[in-house]
Amino acid sequence: MTTSTLEINQLRIQLGNNTLNYQQSIQAGQTVTLQGVSGVGKSSLLLCIAGFIKPSHGTIKWLSTDITKASIERRPVAMLFQENNLFEHISVQRNAQLGTKGISLDEIEECAEQLQIADQLSKMPAQLSGGQRQRVALLRTLLRPEPIMLLDEPFAELDNTTRSIAANWVAKKAKQHNKTVLLVTHQMEDVERLADRNWLIGAQTF
Amino acid sequence: MAIRIFITQFANIVGLLFILLICAITLLAFYGLIAFEPAGAVPTDSNAWYDRIYAIVQSPLLKDDYFHSILLFSIKQALLSALISTVLAWPIARAIYYLPKVYFKNTFLSLSLLCFVLPTLVLITGFVSLLGLSGILTPYLGDHWSLYGLQGILIAHVYMNLPFAVRAMYNQLQSIPDSSWQLSSQLKFSTWQKFSLIEWPAMRSNLSLIFGFITILCFNSFAVVLAFGGGPQSTTLEVAIYQALKYDFNISEALTLAWSQFAIAGVFFIVLYRSSSVTWLSKNVAEKSWAPRPNTANRLLFYGIYIIAFAFLLLPLFSLIPGIFAAKYTISLLTNIGQALTLTLALGLLSACVAMIISYAIMLPIRHCVLANNTRAASLLQWFANHTLIAPAMVLSVGLYILFLALIDLDKWGMIFVVLLNVLLILPFAIQQIRPRLMQYDSDYGMLYPSLKLSYTERFVIEWPYIKPVFLSTFSLTLLIAMGDVAIFSIFGSAQLQTLPWLIYQYAGSYRINEASFASAILLLLYLAILLPIEKTNKKA
Repeated sequence: MTTSTLEINQLRIQLGNNTLNYQQSIQAGQTVTLQGVSGVGKSSLLLCIAGFIKPSHGTIKWLSTDITKASIERRPVAMLFQENNLFEHISVQRNAQLGTKGISLDEIEECAEQLQIADQLSKMPAQLSGGQRQRVALLRTLLRPEPIMLLDEPFAELDNTTRSIAANWVAKKAKQHNKTVLLVTHQMEDVERLADRNWLIGAQTF
Repeated sequence: MAIRIFITQFANIVGLLFILLICAITLLAFYGLIAFEPAGAVPTDSNAWYDRIYAIVQSPLLKDDYFHSILLFSIKQALLSALISTVLAWPIARAIYYLPKVYFKNTFLSLSLLCFVLPTLVLITGFVSLLGLSGILTPYLGDHWSLYGLQGILIAHVYMNLPFAVRAMYNQLQSIPDSSWQLSSQLKFSTWQKFSLIEWPAMRSNLSLIFGFITILCFNSFAVVLAFGGGPQSTTLEVAIYQALKYDFNISEALTLAWSQFAIAGVFFIVLYRSSSVTWLSKNVAEKSWAPRPNTANRLLFYGIYIIAFAFLLLPLFSLIPGIFAAKYTISLLTNIGQALTLTLALGLLSACVAMIISYAIMLPIRHCVLANNTRAASLLQWFANHTLIAPAMVLSVGLYILFLALIDLDKWGMIFVVLLNVLLILPFAIQQIRPRLMQYDSDYGMLYPSLKLSYTERFVIEWPYIKPVFLSTFSLTLLIAMGDVAIFSIFGSAQLQTLPWLIYQYAGSYRINEASFASAILLLLYLAILLPIEKTNKKA
């Protein structure tokens, strides 16, 4: 029997008239992709694990510690949102450095090189395309020290080639630093490329 | 981590404490009003508050014709001023909208902002030089013309508020998307259809708000009525309070008038508060890529309106020039103006700095509530933070004056009250101006910055460049408003130290109109020096 380290236990989120229920155990270092039709509550689950949505019932445990009521700042979580991941009024490089204490600029530049955005670091976010912005945010999220990565449609704005580069980079970094990744995607190729397990979320109950 | 949370909570608590402090000062002012025993009121043995309030309600003054006449005049001049300003602003706003490349458009818009924040006394001096007894234009206005009375008050109020309405309406028109005009052309709309389906819906939402806002401003107007009014036929509550307090020392009368002023301004405020704020300072939307072109006749009409509006705004300012040349520049005049200028700047800077710090601090718990989706608490806090809009300067000043008169030497400590009350009165304005920018920041990044687990300093370092343009322009505007104060200074000011607006009032009041013109020109230059960078910042933002 394997020990799970991220335990989502009888979690219930109330969004207006919609009740969303979740039950899942995820091992440390696993990459789990989340799939399901729009509005089924994939993003809400990530926001709940990150502390932005309060559940009406149930618990979230990390390494047996209940983090359900912990403040956002105290959670072992780094999250990539669907949008607004970059501060528009500061440079891309400065954006990439936020929250990545202990990571040298060299390392950031190296990762940027791998993600093909090294030329963009000195620019302002408004000068970047949607895909470039997404990769900057991805870079920062994966370099952060937190053990749980929540990635909400991280490759949505990328073309096929860049998507493949970015997905492989995420897989490599996640394994290298033993990150537990929950990744929302609509593409089966992301599942095939990255997932240790695919979690298909439906209008389920416990 | 624990320190970060502590600091965030501490900052929220500081904000809450400031809100409590503001409310406490207002309560103190009202305690001053309620606790005072009105001499002319129905005698009562009890000290209970409701008895006191009952005594005020039963005050013989409320049944007096003098009171009725003041009350009617206050409301009449406010409504008329607002109506004329709003009606006249519409064609002007349309003219500059439909003439996007008209010469000096930016100058006109900057001038509009200047006219709105200009100390009333400068404007009064300008109008006296232009339309007063020996004014430049007076010989052409017939034998029965007089600047004093309702017409003078209306002209001054329209001059001050018309530019505000023009800017607000122009911003509304600018918000019409290009695609609406393109679609209307493609569908071959008639002029009426363009107006009723595109222009009117864009204007409608803010029209009543603009009207309401100007009504409140004019209802609370002090210096204009003090200068151009006179006698019960053309006196407002605000001036009547001042006269009762300063000339007659009739505190019971001042008290009843202050309560009436508060009650009516409160009704206006509640009506206005239910609507959203008017955007008038927002940056002028960049050149439109596609806008409807009026036909030649309409273009000529718009040019005519534009030129007349420009002349109306410039004339009172230019009319200061003859006075400047005619003034006798004695050492005493220059010393007086130098001293008054220094005091005006010092009081203004102090008030604006304190107001900006407090407004930012007050926004912290409000933002916290909004981020936590607790909109009810956020609205409540905002209401408490903005409540000084209800209590006009004169009401707060009178309350605190009555309360502290017996407790401390107000001649000695008056300046502290001038700063304190100025802070209180510019605070809602500061909050209204910085709130949208902060809310926008939170709306865009409200999830990002807690998610990045940034320290409080890091957060501020990132936030500052985002809010800096709005923060600095708001600071400058609050500085201008505080520097232009006359109402508070008239109650708490000392006889030895004078602010520049008060000095202008003294000169104008003693028919030294040339000296008043010179002092006005100095103040005008100072305002321009502060205002022009704001406009540049707004264009860059």
